[in-house]
Amino acid sequence: PADAAPKYRWKLAMTWPTNFPIFGDAVVKMADMVKEMSGGEMEIRIDSKNKHKAPFGVLDMVKAGQYEMGHSASYYWKGKDINTMPFTTMPFGMIAPEQYAWFYYGGGMELMREVYDKHGVYSFPGGNTSNQMGGWFQKEIKSLADLKGLKMRIPGFAGEVLSKLGVVVTNIPAGELYTALDRGTIDALEWVGPSLDLNMGFHKIAPNYYTGWHEPATELQFLVNQKKFDALPKHLQAIVETAMKFAAYDMYARSYNDSAVNWAKIEKEFPHIKIRTFPKEVIAAMKKVNNELLEATAAKDATFKKIYDSQKDYMKKVRKWTEISDYTYLKDNL
Amino acid sequence: MIGLVMFGVALVMLLIGFPVAFTFGGVAVFFGLFAEGTQIFALMPHRIWSIMNNTILMAIPLFIFMGIVLQKSKLAERLLESMGFLFGEVRGGIAISTVLVGALLAASTGVVGASVVAMGVISLPVMLKYNYNKKLAAGAICGAGTLGQIIPPSIILIILGDVFQEPVGDLFKAAFWPGLSLVLFYVTYIVIITWIKKDLAPPVRLDEMQGRKKQQILRALKAIVPPLVLIILVLGSILTGVATPTESSSVGGLGAIVLAAMYRQLSVKMVWESTLETIKISSMVFAILIGATAFSMVFTYTGGDWIVEDFMMSLPGEKWGFLILSMLVIMVLGFFIDFVEISYIVVPILAPIAANLGIDPIWYAILVAMNLQTSFLTPPFGFSLFYLKGVAPPEVRTTDIYAGVIPFIILQAIVLAVLVVFPQIFGFPAN
Amino acid sequence: MLLKLERFFDRFSDIMGWIAGVLNLVMLANVFYDAIMRYFFKSGSIALQEMEWHLFAIVFLFGMAFTLKEDGHVRVDILYDQFSPKWKATVNIAGTLIFLIPLAVLIINGSIWFVKEAYEVHEVSGDPGGLTHRWLIKAVIPASFIFLTVSACGFIVRNINIFRGVEAPPEHHIEDDVL
Ligand code: NA
Ligand code: NA
Repeated sequence: PADAAPKYRWKLAMTWPTNFPIFGDAVVKMADMVKEMSGGEMEIRIDSKNKHKAPFGVLDMVKAGQYEMGHSASYYWKGKDINTMPFTTMPFGMIAPEQYAWFYYGGGMELMREVYDKHGVYSFPGGNTSNQMGGWFQKEIKSLADLKGLKMRIPGFAGEVLSKLGVVVTNIPAGELYTALDRGTIDALEWVGPSLDLNMGFHKIAPNYYTGWHEPATELQFLVNQKKFDALPKHLQAIVETAMKFAAYDMYARSYNDSAVNWAKIEKEFPHIKIRTFPKEVIAAMKKVNNELLEATAAKDATFKKIYDSQKDYMKKVRKWTEISDYTYLKDNL
Repeated sequence: MIGLVMFGVALVMLLIGFPVAFTFGGVAVFFGLFAEGTQIFALMPHRIWSIMNNTILMAIPLFIFMGIVLQKSKLAERLLESMGFLFGEVRGGIAISTVLVGALLAASTGVVGASVVAMGVISLPVMLKYNYNKKLAAGAICGAGTLGQIIPPSIILIILGDVFQEPVGDLFKAAFWPGLSLVLFYVTYIVIITWIKKDLAPPVRLDEMQGRKKQQILRALKAIVPPLVLIILVLGSILTGVATPTESSSVGGLGAIVLAAMYRQLSVKMVWESTLETIKISSMVFAILIGATAFSMVFTYTGGDWIVEDFMMSLPGEKWGFLILSMLVIMVLGFFIDFVEISYIVVPILAPIAANLGIDPIWYAILVAMNLQTSFLTPPFGFSLFYLKGVAPPEVRTTDIYAGVIPFIILQAIVLAVLVVFPQIFGFPAN
Repeated sequence: MLLKLERFFDRFSDIMGWIAGVLNLVMLANVFYDAIMRYFFKSGSIALQEMEWHLFAIVFLFGMAFTLKEDGHVRVDILYDQFSPKWKATVNIAGTLIFLIPLAVLIINGSIWFVKEAYEVHEVSGDPGGLTHRWLIKAVIPASFIFLTVSACGFIVRNINIFRGVEAPPEHHIEDDVL
């Protein structure tokens, strides 16, 4: 019966704060589905970063078994294990549908399994933000020279690419970003996309909104402690897996919608905002540095090479089809 | 249930007088072991880690250092004395100066621990030297030092922006006038109360024997220049974009050293004593943060957050009833829990209810912010009170501080009430 | 004998204060340098930016031991002030044994895995050009609580001496320096 006390009570730690839109909603959706599909046999309690205070300790806590599950993003563990990085998104990499195809039918899940086995956890796709924006810039970027000495908040691998092109990569806590961009402490910053940028208010202080290049398909992740998962009865394993997959797909649709809705709002209320694309010269230079950095990493790490090659090969194949189908359609009908 | 018992026990234990930080932590140990076993304490390194890499908190030791250098080089003392002198026959001049300097510090940073301690180090000794009433002095410092949370930039507003999903910049703008009215109320209160009770704050007279009044004023103006330059440097570095608010604390710290050198007060010994003093005070502040995080960890992991949540759910669904009750509840909770917990446990429940009732979210967020900054001042668990006690001379008792902040808490309640009843005064849509 | 022991512990806590004091000044310079380099010279290093909070963390964590020795941790003194020196010593000894040391031991014990994990996977900063050997800064957590425990032993010894009447109760307050 649905009202009996649950036999399995799990806890999930997420990187996001309480009531965080879209990301947090996906987690709630997953937990609700597990409860309903299991007829109340299994319940998952969600702890936000405000409770556990360790947004970037989620992998550790799931690994140590303090939490059975986690919701985060794979590239946050880059410092612990460089091989976790490619499972979120890669600069100039696949777009969301292509990447989902790679995960489920192109060998991506198997590779992710191999990487995370070392840590005693399973990782599953946890929802996609779709293409992220390149960031808010005070001044237009007209040439490669404009990147030299540009002070920008852009973390992770993308920051590494830009720093090679002369950008002064700056770490600034989220709470001080608005002031920093407003007062010129930094010239530019990267956040997510319209779905989440609107609340940060950057559109009020920086007029140039650049299109994306570095996170074409940011995929979040569900983490599950292997021992705990393997100890679940088969039908509950199936329920948890189904719920995660559904929540991930649902978040992708939701992000797409919210980006569209919020962009319409920004466009209407802030007509001075210009959507801009980096000049060809800049994009070419970014691509070159990006490839060099990835090749160098692949030369040092066999597993990384395997993942990198898998993504590269798959993208070649799948991009052909994207070009014939979606690209041609959009090009002819926009 | 455990959460409620924990509060009671912590309260009793604090009264015994063992250091606050370890009392909080120790009570957490007992309840944590009892309810969850040793395993829960494996979460502690994560919580300490998040304090370690919270770069906004870096401003605490740096601003404390600035305050101590200013104090040891007597520059701060001269500033406050001169300002007291310039206010002439106005009694309570140093207390008024304290509030004004506190407001300036508040506009440059949002870190209460830093401003309360810096003000406590700088102006408390001066006020005591001129026979100010201990309670008035303590109250003015705590009140002024806590302004950092409502006058932007402010951590509370940043967190509320996150919780309400409203742009931080909008909240900063909206908080400006309410914050300024607090300053106005504090100053007015000090003027009136010191005029009624003449012995609370004797006027400052700088050696009236030497020289004429003109020379005195000139000398006072000279004394104001150096600290003023420092304030301009700190604020200026933020406004021009040279530094983030956190980084501006290093401008303040180095600036204080340079000023001390210009006034021939600089020595290796002075810098070394200042840095050791800074260590003692900063570690005192951060030990409290660590003890408090252990306490709130056990509180929330034993279901304390659900108790609070259930209670909030039972609030009335009608605008005025909801407004008044939710404000009261936040204020009462503020006696016991810190504002971050309230912001993330309670406010997420209230925000959607407020939105449903058609309450302007920005206005409501400012009401909550005003209310939350009060929680720094309310006994027994007011962080500002602990911080001031940590740097106060022994003759200033905890009871003096508790009694001293009460008028300032009442002033905040008045401003809050005005903000609720006449929002249009502060530029919000009328009710 | 106990007085000698107390001096040994005090020396130890002073060293902690000395390290934290030096690093506090280094942090001041570090933060200032980073801001100036970014604004005036349009250059910056993530490693140096990370160094800021590494120093900051060591400053307040190592400083806790020193602060305990200096009796600088704030108390609610409503009743404490009325106690006799013997009672105060008793409160301090009991509080240290019942509250402080168990808390420190649990934190030390709880952070072993935390540090070991970072060591085993060779964790580094996730940001470009960030600092490596992250286990070292993580190890500051248990280390600082071990140091705090050592200082706490000194605190107990001192309070035993006060209780026995061989040492005068502290009259010197940290605030005396401030005043
Ligand atoms: Na402020
Ligand atoms: Na309080």
